[in-house]
This record gives sequence, C-alpha cells and structure tokens, in this order.
Amino acid sequence: MNYYERPTALQEQAYAEARQHFAEHLNQFKANCDAIHNIESNLSAIANDAFRAALQSSGRVIQTDDGTQWQHAVDLTKITSVCRRRTSAGLEFAVVECLPFKSGEIKDVLNSGHDASEVLQTFARDQRQVLNLWKNDVTAQVREHLDEKYPHQDMSIVVESFDIKLARDISRRESVAQNQSHGVRI
Amino acid sequence: METIPENETQTAAPPVERLAYSVQEAADMLGVHYFSVYRLIQRGKLKTCRALRGKLLVPRAELLKLLETE
Repeated sequence: MNYYERPTALQEQAYAEARQHFAEHLNQFKANCDAIHNIESNLSAIANDAFRAALQSSGRVIQTDDGTQWQHAVDLTKITSVCRRRTSAGLEFAVVECLPFKSGEIKDVLNSGHDASEVLQTFARDQRQVLNLWKNDVTAQVREHLDEKYPHQDMSIVVESFDIKLARDISRRESVAQNQSHGVRI
Repeated sequence: METIPENETQTAAPPVERLAYSVQEAADMLGVHYFSVYRLIQRGKLKTCRALRGKLLVPRAELLKLLETE
C-alpha cells in the first residue's frame, strides 16, 4: 500500500481481497517479467548460441506466414524462438512467434536483422512495452472490480498500490538488465 | 386450431452476441494465453477500445477478422 497515506480498514480489506481475486494475473505477470528478465540477462549467450547454430545447417525449417523460410536456432519461450536464414546480404536473424490459435497456427516474424544481439534487444524492449500494456490493463480491471464491489468508496489508494507493484516488477528487472547488458558483444 | 407447443413457448432467447470482449475472453476465444493477446495488441494486429475505467476491450469484429485472416 501507499507509504504516504495510511489506508483505512476498508481499503486494507479491499486490497487483500483484490490481491486474492487477481492472484493469477499477478503471478502470471511476475512469471512473464522473470522470463523477459532471463532473456535480457542471458542475451549475449543466446545471441552466441544463435550465431553458432547459423554456422551449422541443422535446425527445423519454419515457414512464416509471409512465405519466408527460416531455420530454427534457439527457443526463447514456449512460442517464440530465434531463427536464421541466409540472404544475399549475409546471415539474417529473426524472432519468430508460433501462435497456436484454435483455428490453426500462425507464424509471425516479430523482428529481424543481421545482428542477433540487436534482434534480441529489440525483442526484449518490445516485450517490456507489452508488459506495460498488461500492467495498465490489470490496473484498470482492479479499478473496475473495486468500483463494483465497493461503490461510493474511495479506493484510489488501493488501485495505485497495484499499479506501483506491477511497475516495480517491470522496472526492477529492466534496471538489472540494463546493468548486465553493458559491454555485451558477440 | 393449432396451438403452440408448450416447450416452444418456454424456449430461451438466443444468446446475444457481445460487441466486445476483455483480453482474457479474447484469449479464451482464440485459444492462446492472454500475454499473446497483449502482444497482438502491441503489434497492432488486434485493435482495441477502452471501457469507462480504461480496461481494454477487443471488438468482436476484430477477433473475427483476425481468425479469418489467419
């Protein structure tokens, strides 16, 4: 809760109840922050693995929905992986997402480039933007939930505490990643 | 004279199709995790609107468009 303003008993109760109600969201959010943090922390090692894989011709072929053929190099998450292909301009790397929709799988290039490290950095930066989108949506859902459950009560301090908690989850990992990415070379 | 069978008079009205869904509902409909839906939104592949308190809503038309395209 907010350190500057003492919450009332009702606000404390609402906070505890909302923590329980949104527990799955909060756990999933933290797990995804951790996953992105791990990618950022191991960025140079993953880029090296992708580069080493590119020197070999092994790796399953993935055809993305734009018709481009890639070879799988390294898994990033359950549904995203670093892939590579040879072009006239040299090796190209991409982060490819395979989304298992009910109607069929889609395979999209999230971002690509000739430097594996830069491709991974761009991916990690984009994922942090996604986390911010998610954070703002969870905060809005908490606000909606509290407005319905505690009508005519000021629960702004409770909503704010959720927002701060989620922002800290993102920024703590971002600052660690920034510290660790200095001097990364492949 | 024909009479309306009793079970027909008691038939529930067909479910009204919603105009928009939350991210969680959209994820359930697509069969993916909701983080993937936020990813699609961030990449501009799914357009959203916002409810009164700022909650993201995915219009039904956008979901159908995505499913048809893919």
